[in-house]
Amino acid sequence: MFEYLPMHIAPWGIEIVIYFFLIGMASMVFAVAAGPATFGAIAAPFKDFEVTGSIVALVMLAAVVPLLILDLSQPYRFLNPILYFRWTSPLSWGSLFLPLFGLAILGFLYGIYREQPTVQRYSAILGTLLALSMPIYTGLDLMVNQTRELWANPTIPALFVSLSITSGAALVALVQLVRGRLTQEATRKIRFMIAFSTFVSFWIFLGLLMTMLYGSAELQGALGAINSDYALEFYGLGLVVGILVPMVLVFGPMIHPVMNFGRKPAVVTLAGICGAIGAYMLRDVLIHAGQLAQLYY
Amino acid sequence: MSSIGLQAEPSYGVPGKKRWAMVIDLRRCIGCMACVAACKAEYDVPLGVWRTTVRVKDTGSFPNTRRNFMPRLCNHCDNPPCVRNCPTAATYKHEDGFVLQRYERCIGCRTCIAACPYNARFMLPRNRTRVGINSVVDKCTFCEHRVSQGLVPACVQTCIGRSRIFGDINDPNSEVAKIVATQKTTTLKPEKGTKPQVYYIKPDRVGTEQVLSAPESYAARSDAEAFYRHNNGSRFFGGTL
Repeated sequence: MFEYLPMHIAPWGIEIVIYFFLIGMASMVFAVAAGPATFGAIAAPFKDFEVTGSIVALVMLAAVVPLLILDLSQPYRFLNPILYFRWTSPLSWGSLFLPLFGLAILGFLYGIYREQPTVQRYSAILGTLLALSMPIYTGLDLMVNQTRELWANPTIPALFVSLSITSGAALVALVQLVRGRLTQEATRKIRFMIAFSTFVSFWIFLGLLMTMLYGSAELQGALGAINSDYALEFYGLGLVVGILVPMVLVFGPMIHPVMNFGRKPAVVTLAGICGAIGAYMLRDVLIHAGQLAQLYY
Repeated sequence: MSSIGLQAEPSYGVPGKKRWAMVIDLRRCIGCMACVAACKAEYDVPLGVWRTTVRVKDTGSFPNTRRNFMPRLCNHCDNPPCVRNCPTAATYKHEDGFVLQRYERCIGCRTCIAACPYNARFMLPRNRTRVGINSVVDKCTFCEHRVSQGLVPACVQTCIGRSRIFGDINDPNSEVAKIVATQKTTTLKPEKGTKPQVYYIKPDRVGTEQVLSAPESYAARSDAEAFYRHNNGSRFFGGTL
């Protein structure tokens, strides 16, 4: 029998997932690098990460911005969101904050090389605020779509911030470990960051799961799509590898002395890498499954 | 508050303002697709994308079956989320209620496609032979160019059953205003708060409820998937044709 239904394109794909992940990671790497200038003594263990971290964040920014531009079907018009700025669109704010974030990193490096602490400090504060805005605006990009119910959830920006802290901490730990400068004090700070962010992610994950389980027909449809098509990514890599394993590793030493290996720099780095894998996978599933429920309508 | 970010105040029910709307009487629709063909002809809409479609779904099992037709198009919402989300104001709301597109501003970020609850928007393909508008988002315009000249939209003009009825819903003497006032009508996804301005008379649940919208027929699903596989390769998500 003839039955005719158009099948609609899911507007956002892998490029957006990669962009959201990398910009979140880059922003938190810079936030750590700028920590000593922004927060003072509390972030002192990262003093020798200032230049390296800023350069890493800058390189990542330089890599992801072209990805974002090329994802547009009219890439030559990439300045339009700034030229025709729309304050109700998070994408407009993101387009504005993105170059400002790059300028803040450059200003921070300029302050270091020219030995101008005032420039360095103000660039660090501004850059840290802009860094925080990156995962928030990417979360808002999803949240404002009131018609995609999996996305239209106020916890999404908070989840993206916590996932970014995990993945940023992972990269900081990895870089410092490779450089041989992951001191005990820096390890402790990174361990705290991973513990805090995975703890927050865990509760938001549970909240999302409950929202889908007891939610509207569309939310239940999204859960159905996740369970059928993305179960490994969502539960396996997102929850178990990305949240539970890092939590066990970093909280373990507080629970039993036998878990004290969780204080070692290499183990903390491993916890961060697991968290980063989860941070990517959770974004991937949320972005893709959030579109599937409505695709046939 | 509801007009924040819309560029034009909602005009539904505002005295002295026009608010174009469409009523689709599903008791009269015979699924001839003349409206789809007229729209394609009016705008040279490329293969694979549509400004308006007529969805066909069969329900029941023999001998108790029914074929349901569901014409779909942009709902020209009075509170359109696509307008609010567009980062370049490429999508805007006309003061008479049309939701229109400035092609020269569109960057193809597809935010408006994500924002639309009705899947009424689509990407124009990269290559078109006769019309030089490519790789931007497009949608139904309620034939603004015709309506501004005192004509009705092409799909309404050609509808042989007079299933589609168009007019100013703010004008109490218009046919659409009379129908909406006296008949049982419904809109799609009213709970989304978009205030859609396409009204349906006697739709079936398979046409209005998202939870029932997935294809029941294996052929329908495989046809659609084959089409996108052919055009996009493996890139089902985020791709443009």
